[in-house]
Amino acid sequence: MWQTNLKVLTVGALVLGFFTMVAHIVPQQASEVPEVLTLGAGATPEMLAAAGEKIFSGAGGCTSCHGLGTRAPNLVTDERGAGPIGARCGKQEAGKDCKTYLWEALTAPAAFVVKGYQPIMLDQRRTLSVDQIWALVAYLESNGGEVTVTGQDIVDAQAAAGAPKPAAAPAGERIDAVAVLGEFGCSACHKLKGEGGEIGPAFDGMGGRLTKDYLREAIVDPKAKVAKGYEENKDMMPVAFGEQLTKEQLNALIDYLASLK
Amino acid sequence: MTDPLYLLQAAADTAGAYGRFPGIGARNAVWIAAQVHLMFAAFVLGVPMFAVVTELIGIVTKDYKYDKMSKEFTRLLVFAYSATALWGGVLLFFLTTLYPKFWGYMARLFGPSMWVYIGIFFFESFTLYLYYYGWDRWNHGRAKWGHWGLGVLLNVWGTTVMFIANGWLTFMMSPPAGVTAETLPEQIGLANALMNMTWMPINIHRLIGNAVFGGAVVAAYAGYRFLAAKTDEERAHYDWMGYVGNFIAISTFIVLPFAGYYLGREIYEYNQTMGITMMGGFMSWLWIVQAVLIGMLFLAANYYLWLGMGRIPGAERFVPYTKWMLLLLLLCWLVWATPHTMLASREEMAAMGGSSHPFLNVLGLMSAKNTAVNIMILTTFLSFLMYRRANVRPTVSWAKNGTLVQGAMFGLAAAVVLFYGVYGYFVESIVRIGFSVYQVAAVILCIVGVTVIDVLLGRGAQSRGEIRWGQMPDRSQYALFVLAITFTWLMGLMGFARSGIRQHWHVYEVMRDTSTYASTPGLGYAANMITACVVIFLSLVSVIFWLGGLAESAAHKPKPASGD
Repeated sequence: MWQTNLKVLTVGALVLGFFTMVAHIVPQQASEVPEVLTLGAGATPEMLAAAGEKIFSGAGGCTSCHGLGTRAPNLVTDERGAGPIGARCGKQEAGKDCKTYLWEALTAPAAFVVKGYQPIMLDQRRTLSVDQIWALVAYLESNGGEVTVTGQDIVDAQAAAGAPKPAAAPAGERIDAVAVLGEFGCSACHKLKGEGGEIGPAFDGMGGRLTKDYLREAIVDPKAKVAKGYEENKDMMPVAFGEQLTKEQLNALIDYLASLK
Repeated sequence: MTDPLYLLQAAADTAGAYGRFPGIGARNAVWIAAQVHLMFAAFVLGVPMFAVVTELIGIVTKDYKYDKMSKEFTRLLVFAYSATALWGGVLLFFLTTLYPKFWGYMARLFGPSMWVYIGIFFFESFTLYLYYYGWDRWNHGRAKWGHWGLGVLLNVWGTTVMFIANGWLTFMMSPPAGVTAETLPEQIGLANALMNMTWMPINIHRLIGNAVFGGAVVAAYAGYRFLAAKTDEERAHYDWMGYVGNFIAISTFIVLPFAGYYLGREIYEYNQTMGITMMGGFMSWLWIVQAVLIGMLFLAANYYLWLGMGRIPGAERFVPYTKWMLLLLLLCWLVWATPHTMLASREEMAAMGGSSHPFLNVLGLMSAKNTAVNIMILTTFLSFLMYRRANVRPTVSWAKNGTLVQGAMFGLAAAVVLFYGVYGYFVESIVRIGFSVYQVAAVILCIVGVTVIDVLLGRGAQSRGEIRWGQMPDRSQYALFVLAITFTWLMGLMGFARSGIRQHWHVYEVMRDTSTYASTPGLGYAANMITACVVIFLSLVSVIFWLGGLAESAAHKPKPASGD
């Protein structure tokens, strides 16, 4: 009997040892906590870029998508012949300099989505502080361009973040539907006044084509019905808007879309 | 806010939020308590599913051995419930003393559901005692059906308890939109918090996972009793029990990847960043380790079946095929364990020419992996079919055609899987994801269709000879141990994945982990913890089995089983 017990224990130890060994052999990637930065007005471009590189390659997890152009634009080397990010960032959107563009790309990523990619990135302020984001901007600028971020940008952003936020609209007060569209990045996929993506049907003229009930269903349960010609993209529309939008926002959005005739 | 003030505020927020645990630290203490509690919980939820199904088979077929097996496992549950509650208590005390701020938040939010939880746990325990101690009293006629109803009720209570606890842990992963760091727990709707976006996928995944686990533990128990058996009758009984346990474990396990796919999809829907962290970020290598484990499960399960054919007259005609099936399984295993996207430094990516390896990238894509796993499922199903058909000589007039149709179904399913596997390389990723549905549908249709034909073919069939239960080589039983240990380890690994994707958040993007242990460790560290948990759990389960053996009195000796 003891011989059997010994055999069973040996088999168990071998199996557990094998699995543990495999887990030790593969690359050991830990998820570090983004380092709290103490950069202030006196931060130099070098300090900022160095701090940004640490976040980019480490705790920020940026390389999961921004490798060499797989899920998201290449931020490491060249992107489709347009050069590294530091060299091309100032030419992405008309009227926006490099650091403004990069700040927007990190804090309102759905506002402008590079052609050929999906709007999958989220506002990085959900997980990073403003100085960490500015450090990232500085690092990206340093990759093929000149660092224009200064310590003052951080001070200004911190002041803005600390400033009292506009109070939520009281019940009954009019909600700006266009602002809601911007907040949720709808234009990344839907064209409005000739601008925006073409992944979903254009907002222009939507009120003439669809009823309010249809619009409500299309937002809350987008898979219930799919617009003709967009079947292939039916999985692109997020299904969580029904939970994310407040009742007032949803109603304002429906009213606005219904008015676009 | 200026930086010194920010740091000061962070320190003030953290003060009193965490306790210390000697030696292994607070996080590891909670990790072990939570994981071992969960393993016992899976045991006491999975085994009743097994018991109630086998009791029903016993009632319908009037085959006493099913009833005996069902009762044997319910006896073990009585001990296992105490262990589950004990570890639940340990976890609760650890959370309240080591993570008081976090637990205070959860208690403020989920308080009423915690009262309901404990109330149902009380009913569940009482139902279990009634189910076990009333076994012999309510063993005939209508009373037996009533007794079986108690088993069903036991499962209902258990499932409800699990669903409530799942609400708490999934809230930590996917709090409802609109909940921020500033939101007070009292401002969050309890139902919204419980029924959050990943709640139902986790419920389904765990429900199936528990059934798998229950079957695997039963099979391992039977394996040990087989090795320790002193008579041929005992050996035959436990050989049969091991087969049934393994059958339930593997047949439900085949469904599990689909539930996992649903869960993964919901995680992506909830938050793309979280999904990418899970599949392509710092956790990407975890899926390679998972593939190694699941490959091991497939190999062990098939090996057990192939050895089992040795005790079935007529099975020798299938033996020559097994080496090719082994080769196919190994090839698919290699493909499945091939990495694709991985977290790498800028220099490493530049050296590779991308975030994916230029050659392995091709095999690491989901197209290849989905194809591999579906072929492995089909191969395993074929092993089951061969095992089932081994001693059967169909007598229906259409037997030959029926077998040909079965073969065609296998061929068609494999062709669909391969076609979409290859085609997936030529389309956009969003389209490619949809192809897995066709592949899965082809495999499921094949399994259902072939099984139906097989059942019809078996009507009035002649036997090539009785299965020689008990005449199984000892090494087959070790395959059952490998299965149970692998399933247990896999649970630990997936627990780490689910919990780890929150990274440095107690509640994702709502409540930051500001403790010393906020960073999420690498796989090696996690593997040490998982192994420690598995050793603790299996050691305690062995004690429970031993106690169960002690409780077996001469009065409970079985009547001879009809098939033994």
